Amino acid sequence: MNTTDQLANYLNRRSFLGQAGIGFGSAALLSLLGKDARGAGSGSSPHALPGLPHHHAKIKRVIFLCMAGGPSHLETFDYKPELNQLNGQPMPDSFTKGQPIAQLQGHKLKVQGHLTKFKEYGTGQYISDFLPYHRKMADQLCIVKSMLTEQINHDPAHTFMNTGTAISGRPSMGSWINYGLGSESDDLPGFVVMTSVGGRNPQPIAARQWGAGFLPSRHQGVEFNSTGDPVHYVTNPKGVSRSQQDALVQSIRQLDIHRNETVDNPEIKARIAAYEMAFRMQTSVPELTDVSKEPKHILEMYGAKPGDGSYASNCLLARRLAEKGVRFIQLYHRGWDHHGGLEKYMNICCGLTDKPTYALLTDLKQRGMLEETLIVWGGEFGRTPMFQGKGGAGRDHHIKGFSMWLAGGGIKGGTAYGETDELGYSSVKDIVHVRDLHATMLHLLGINHERFSLKFQGLDMRLTGVEPARVVKGVLA
Amino acid sequence: MMSRIPLHPHWILCASLTLSASAEVDFNRDIRPILSDNCFACHGPDKKKRKSSLRLDTFKGATEGGELADPIVPGKPDESEVVVRIFHQDPDEIMPPPDSHKKLKPQQKELLKQWIAEGANYAEPWTYLAPKRHPVPKVSFKAWPTNWVDHFILARLEGEKLAPSPDADLITLVRRLHFDLLGLPPTPKEVAAFQKAATQNLQAAIENEVDHLLASPHYGERMAIYWLDLVRYADTVGYHGDQDQSISPYRDYVIDAFNDNLPFDQFTREQLAGDLLPSPTIDQKIATGYNRLLQTSHEGGVQAREYLAIYFADRVRNVSNVWMGATVGCAQCHDHKYDPYTTKDFYSLGAFFADIDEAQHFKVGSNSLPTKRPPELEVHTKRERKRIAALEKLLAAGKFASPEDREKVQAALAALQKAKRKTMITVATEPRTVRILPRGNWLDDSGLIVEPATPEFLSKDHPSPASARPTRLDLANWFTDPVEGTGGLTARVMANRFWYLFFGTGIAKRLDDFGGQGEAPVHPELLDNLAVEFYQSDWDVKHIMRLLVTSRAYRQSSLESPALRERDPYNRLLARQSRYRLPAETIRDNALSISGLLRSDYGGASAKPYQPPGYYRHLNFPTRKYSHHADERQWRRGVYVHWQRQFLHPMLRAFDAPTREECTAERPRSNTPIAAMTLLNDPTFVEAARVFGERIIRVGGKSNKERLEFAYRLALSRIPDERERSIMGKLFTLAEKEFKSHPTAAKELISAGQAPVPSDLDPAEHATWTTIARAILNLSETYTRN
Repeated sequence: MNTTDQLANYLNRRSFLGQAGIGFGSAALLSLLGKDARGAGSGSSPHALPGLPHHHAKIKRVIFLCMAGGPSHLETFDYKPELNQLNGQPMPDSFTKGQPIAQLQGHKLKVQGHLTKFKEYGTGQYISDFLPYHRKMADQLCIVKSMLTEQINHDPAHTFMNTGTAISGRPSMGSWINYGLGSESDDLPGFVVMTSVGGRNPQPIAARQWGAGFLPSRHQGVEFNSTGDPVHYVTNPKGVSRSQQDALVQSIRQLDIHRNETVDNPEIKARIAAYEMAFRMQTSVPELTDVSKEPKHILEMYGAKPGDGSYASNCLLARRLAEKGVRFIQLYHRGWDHHGGLEKYMNICCGLTDKPTYALLTDLKQRGMLEETLIVWGGEFGRTPMFQGKGGAGRDHHIKGFSMWLAGGGIKGGTAYGETDELGYSSVKDIVHVRDLHATMLHLLGINHERFSLKFQGLDMRLTGVEPARVVKGVLA
Repeated sequence: MMSRIPLHPHWILCASLTLSASAEVDFNRDIRPILSDNCFACHGPDKKKRKSSLRLDTFKGATEGGELADPIVPGKPDESEVVVRIFHQDPDEIMPPPDSHKKLKPQQKELLKQWIAEGANYAEPWTYLAPKRHPVPKVSFKAWPTNWVDHFILARLEGEKLAPSPDADLITLVRRLHFDLLGLPPTPKEVAAFQKAATQNLQAAIENEVDHLLASPHYGERMAIYWLDLVRYADTVGYHGDQDQSISPYRDYVIDAFNDNLPFDQFTREQLAGDLLPSPTIDQKIATGYNRLLQTSHEGGVQAREYLAIYFADRVRNVSNVWMGATVGCAQCHDHKYDPYTTKDFYSLGAFFADIDEAQHFKVGSNSLPTKRPPELEVHTKRERKRIAALEKLLAAGKFASPEDREKVQAALAALQKAKRKTMITVATEPRTVRILPRGNWLDDSGLIVEPATPEFLSKDHPSPASARPTRLDLANWFTDPVEGTGGLTARVMANRFWYLFFGTGIAKRLDDFGGQGEAPVHPELLDNLAVEFYQSDWDVKHIMRLLVTSRAYRQSSLESPALRERDPYNRLLARQSRYRLPAETIRDNALSISGLLRSDYGGASAKPYQPPGYYRHLNFPTRKYSHHADERQWRRGVYVHWQRQFLHPMLRAFDAPTREECTAERPRSNTPIAAMTLLNDPTFVEAARVFGERIIRVGGKSNKERLEFAYRLALSRIPDERERSIMGKLFTLAEKEFKSHPTAAKELISAGQAPVPSDLDPAEHATWTTIARAILNLSETYTRN
C-alpha cells in the first residue's frame, strides 16, 4: 500500500463509521490525488460504495417534484363517477369508521363530488381540467393511483415520504442515494433542494426533510436560494475580490500543508480539499443559478423569469443541475393544502406548476436526458373524498389513497397503475406504499433496497425500513 | 493495491484487538457481537419473530434447542447443528440464510467453533452486570502513571507491546485543557503562566490549572452543551410551525448544575421529578423542564391520541438513551430484537410519565412567539436571584459614594427584577391509563393496561420500586441507586461519556447503546472502576473529570506514527491522545475570543447571531422574521445561541451541531465545503477577523513581524516559523496592494458586522490585517483540538 492508498483507506474508514464522517472532502481529495478509492469496477459511478450498483441502473438521477400540502387526487388523476353521484350526501360509515381523520374530527362527514372534469388518456389514465399541460405529456407518465402513506399531518407525512419513518433525524432518500452512488459532480453538491410558494396557506417545510441523519453530512441536501446568496455563504465578504479570496484560500492551503509536515494529520489533507471545493463552488454555484444566458425560447417554455424564485425557475434550474451531474434534485412547491377554496387554489397551484413541469420533462427529453432521469410528482398525502369548507368547498388530509406519477427512464409511460375504491377513499388494487416507491426508485438506480443498509444504533438501517417493501414491477417499462 | 472499503471495519479492528489480548474466547467480547448481529433477529429475544422456536441468546435455548435436536453441544462443535449450518455450502441450509444478507466471515466461524469447543460459556451481557471494582493492574513502566487510570491503559499497551506516547508539549497541553474544560482558547498570559509553572513541576502545574478551570463559570457552559445534546434541549417546539417555546431557564439550570457540581444523582432526580421532591425549590421546578423538551405540535388536525403515542415513544427513547444507554425505543412495536427489553417494558417505562398532562397544548397552543405550552412558570434563575439579593443588600446598606452610584444599582436591580423568564415545568396530575399499543398502533384499544415499572429482566437484581404506583421520583432513584437500583449501570454509561469528552472516543464506542448491538468496552475493568468511583464519590462529576484530565494518558501527545496509525487507527488503545476538529459552538467561541469580541455574560434568554436573510422563509404559523441581535448579545457564546430545531443556524449545522430533535450522544465531525465557506464568509467570522485585525494593529506592536507574532500568539499560542512568515508576508503584500488601490473595497471589508468601525486607522492597513486575520482563523490548527 502506498501512502495515497493508506490515506484513502483511512479517510474512507473514518467516513464509513458514520460517527466520524469526513464529509465531502474525501472524494474531492482523492480525485485531487488522482486516485479513487471507491468503486473499482463499479462502472458508471466512480464514487459509489463498493458493490454498488447491485444491478444495471436504468437511471442516473432523480428529480422529485414535491407538491407540498397534499394535492387532491380527486381533482387531478383519480376519477370516480360515484363520487359525483353521492355529492352532498353523508359519507357512508363503512368507509370512515375507525379511520384516522385530521381536521374533520368530530364533524359530520359528507361526500364532495369532483370539483372539475376529467378526460381519459392512455390506458386508464384520467387527467383533470386543471392540468392541460399534463394532458400533453400523458404518454410519458405512469400515474400511480393507489398510493398509501402512514402519516396524516404535514410535518410527519413529509418526514415519512422523505425518510421512510416519522421519527425525526433519519436520512432522507436524497442522502441515501448520494451515500450509495456518490455524486457525479466535482463542484456541486449531489443533493440540491429548491422551494417555491403559491396557493393556500403554505405549510412549513423543515430542513430535516433533506437531512443526512446518521449518514456522513456531506450527503445532506443543500438548499439553493432564489434570493440572497444562492447557497449560504457562497459569496465573498463585501470588499473581497475573487483574486483576493483566491489568494487567501491558497495561503491557507500552503500554511496547512506546511503544518502538516510536522503533524502528519490526514484530516488536514481532507480539509484542504474541502477548501478547494468550497472555492470552486463559489464560482460554480452562481454560474449555475444564473439563467440569464438561457435562450429566450427556453425561458418562455418554462415561463421562468430569472431570479423570481418561482417553481418555473426552479424547474429550469433542475434541468441545469441534472446536466451537471447532481444526483438528487428536489423541488417543493408549497401551497397545496386545500382545506377550502379548492377550486380557486387548484387554479393557482396548477397555474404555477403545470406548464413548468411539462417544460422540464420536454426539455430533458429533447436533450436526451429523460431516459436517464426519474421524475416523481406528488404530495405527502392526498385529500378526503369528504367535504371540508374552510372558505368554500375543500378537502381534508387523506392517507389511505392518493395519486403520484412517475416518468422517465425505466418507466412505462402512458399508463396508470393501481386503483382506489369507488369513492377514492382507500387504495384497493395494486397498493403502492411509500416504502414501495422508495424500493422502486432505488431499483431504477441499480440498488437492491434490502441490501442497502448502514448500521446505526446497532441496527441495519434501510431507507425502506424493516417492514416489507416491494419493487413495483407494474410501473416499469 | 486498490483500496476496497470494508463495510464494517470497526469489527475488524475490534477483532484484532481482542484476539491479541487473549487466546481464550470471551463470550461478551468475542461471541455476543457475532451472534447478535447475525443470529438474534430470528433466534433472539423477540419471540414473535423467532424461527424454529430456537433462541441462541441464552445457554438454555441454545443447548435445548427448539425444533432442532442439538443446536449447540458444549465442548463438541462437530455434533453441534449450529456449526454444521454455518459452514454449510448449500444455500438452503447455510446460516445465516442468504436472504438475510448476513454473512459470517471465516474468522467469525472459527471463533464460534472455538467457543463451542471451549464449552459454549454464556455470560450475562456486560451491560447489565453491575460494575465492580477491579484490582489495579501492575505495569512495568512504573514511572509513567500519575493515577490508577493510567495503570489500566498502560497494562493493556504493554500487553500489546506498545509504548505510550511522550507527553504533549506544554502549549498543546494547556490548549487541550482549556478547550476540553472551558471550550475556549487560553490567553497568551495563561499560556505563559502555565509554561512557567510546568517547568518547575509539570504535574502540580496541571493540577493547579485543572482546579482553576473547573472553578471557572465557563466550565459549566462547556459541559452543558453535551448534556443539552443528550436531552434534546431547543428553543422551539420542533414539529410543524416550530414556534418558540419558553425554556431557556432550564438551559441555565444545567450550566449552574455543572458549575456548582450538583451530584449527578440529584441532577437526575431534579430533572425527572423535581416537582415530586418535598417542598421543591424554584430550581428544582425549573429542572423538571427536562420532561418538556420533547418535540410537540399543535398543528390543526393533529389527533390527540396519535400524538400522545408519539410523545410517549419520544420520552421512552430519550430517557433510555440518556440514563440507561439503551434503545428501549426499539421495543415500541415488538420485543427488542437484540436486547431483553419487551414491548411491555417499553410501555411500563413510559407509564412513569403518564402523570404529565401533555394534551393541554393541543387546545391552547397558539401560533404566537413563544407559543403556549402550559404549565409554565415565570422565574429568576439561581444566579439572577443571587444577584438580586446582593443588589438589595447593597441598597439596604446605603453606602454610596454618589447618588449616581445609587441610581445605577437601583436601575440594575429594577432591570433584573423585570427580567423574569417563562419556563416550561412539570406538574404531576392524575395519571392517564397506559395501554400497550399492539404493533404500536394508536388506534388499537385492545392492549393490556400497564402500570409504571422498570424493565422486567433488570428488575430481578434491581427490583422495581415497591410503592403502590411508582412515580418519576422512584424511577430517578432507581437510576441512581447502586444498591437497590441500576445506579452502577447509569454510572458506567456516564463515565464512558466523560471519557469520550476527554479522549475523543468512549471506552465502549457507542455512547447511547450499551446493548447487544453496541460494542464491548476496550478497557472493561477501567470503565467499571470509573463507574464505581463515580457513585462512591457521591456522584461527584468534577472529581471524575479531574481524575481523567490529570492522568498521564490524557497528557500524551496526539501525534501518531504511520505504524501506530496502521495498528490502531481509531486510537482505541490510547497509545496517544486524540485530535479532532472543535465542536461547532467552540469554533464560534474561539474566533470571537481571539478577536476580543466574545461576551462573558452568563445565562439569560437565547442570543441571535447574524443569519442569512430569508433562512426562515419556509416556516409558517406564524411566518418568521429573524432579527439578529443588534447589541452585544451578538457576541455571546455558542451555548446561548437560539436553537431553532427545523432551521438550526447554518453555521452550527455546518459544523455538525445536532438539531436536537432526538438524543445525541456523539456528534459527527465532518469536513465539508459548506463548512469551509461558512468559516470563510459567514459575517460572524468576517467581523471577528476585522476586529482581530484592529486588535493586531493597536496592541500587536509596531513592526509587521511583531504584529504577526502577536496574532499567532492569540490564535495559536505560539509564534510563526520562517515559512509561515513568508507565506503570510506574501499574502500581506498582495492584500496591501489591492486595498491601497481599492479604498472602497477596504472600507467595505472593515465594516463587516456591527462592531464600531475605527475611524483612526488607515482602512487599507486595517483591511490588510483583516485578511491576515481571516487566514489565521481558517487554519486547521486554529480549530483543531490536539
